[in-house]
Amino acid sequence: MRYSYENVASSVVAVRHSHWFTSVLSLKTSMPLRAEPKKKKKVDPRREIMMKERLKKKLKRLEKVPPELIPIEDFITPAKCFDETRIRDAPKLCFEESERRALLLKEWSRYKYSQHQTEMDTINEALEAQRQALDELKLESEELYKAALSPDMDLFPFQHEGPSYTPPVTNYDAPEGKYNDVTRVYTQ
Amino acid sequence: MNTLLNKVLLLQNTQALVCAVSSVQSQLLTTHMALGVLLTNRQYRSMPTHGIGKYRHLLPKALPKKKKDRVQVKQIKAATATEFGVFNVCVSGYDMTLVEHYSQYIHNLCNHLDIKVDESYALPTKSTEVMLMQEQGTKMYLDAVLKTHERIVQISEMKATLFPIFMDVVLKNQPEGVRFCVKQHSETDFQARFKTRPELEGLLAKINN
Repeated sequence: MRYSYENVASSVVAVRHSHWFTSVLSLKTSMPLRAEPKKKKKVDPRREIMMKERLKKKLKRLEKVPPELIPIEDFITPAKCFDETRIRDAPKLCFEESERRALLLKEWSRYKYSQHQTEMDTINEALEAQRQALDELKLESEELYKAALSPDMDLFPFQHEGPSYTPPVTNYDAPEGKYNDVTRVYTQ
Repeated sequence: MNTLLNKVLLLQNTQALVCAVSSVQSQLLTTHMALGVLLTNRQYRSMPTHGIGKYRHLLPKALPKKKKDRVQVKQIKAATATEFGVFNVCVSGYDMTLVEHYSQYIHNLCNHLDIKVDESYALPTKSTEVMLMQEQGTKMYLDAVLKTHERIVQISEMKATLFPIFMDVVLKNQPEGVRFCVKQHSETDFQARFKTRPELEGLLAKINN
């Protein structure tokens, strides 16, 4: 037992005597750590400048290319439509049927024309009424007239949903679920 | 006067002789030498035959072929005292035919009422997956894929007095299931049509850092 203690003591003493082991109890530091910090050479700022220039050149090259529009899937006909096995000829109509269709088209065009006419008439009447009102207003006061002519910015943004055959039912217990947006993201 | 005429005639004669000689020379030379070496199209500007054989000025002007119809970045006009600036009429919905026909109707109406239409384009379609929870159990299952189509009619310089009438007519004719929306045009709206460029943005971030 004593022998081991003596050995340990001697080894500790031996360690203290060698100059490579500065301290046993404190942190063990190696040679590179204890060396002086590297001197900042002049190459470093130049290297940074070079890096920046390279990045700017890359940026210039990328900016030269104009941005591309995202392709719209609506306007691309699906491949299924080009399948030649699904083409069929138009059905052959009898004389009365074709006559009936032509007369129906004429009726329809007459109906749409009258619709369009009534619409244009209402627009023109409204415009005329507006013009008369504005004239009267001008006679009344110049300021109000100018205010009436100026565009109203409070309207933007304006949203309106169209009428629906099946409006939402009150107190409807909807099943649980969620919506996932799976639009394809295009990158240039 | 006579002398003058004589001089002129002499001049013309000499010129004709010179022409003849040159033509003879040119003929001789062309027969002896290789073709294409001495083919000169010299213009005899004082001769009545000046410009004979020219035909390029008679053809229709062919404009240089444009490389690509790039979408130009237009300046967004601001609103003035009597007119609105640039605003977008945006029509969106699930049914493509209705949406398209409605946008076409609005465009035609603008044309008829002499309202300036800057652009009429489509925004990319958005696909939405509708996931529903199963009645028994906790798994979600795919119910449907809904596609939202969007069409935009860009109007600029519209009279403020005409605007309410225009809105009235357009709202009266709104079909079912179609959402009608009016908003001011902005730069973000314009940029949303283009593809994202992650490399460019990365580089910009690096340079700024």
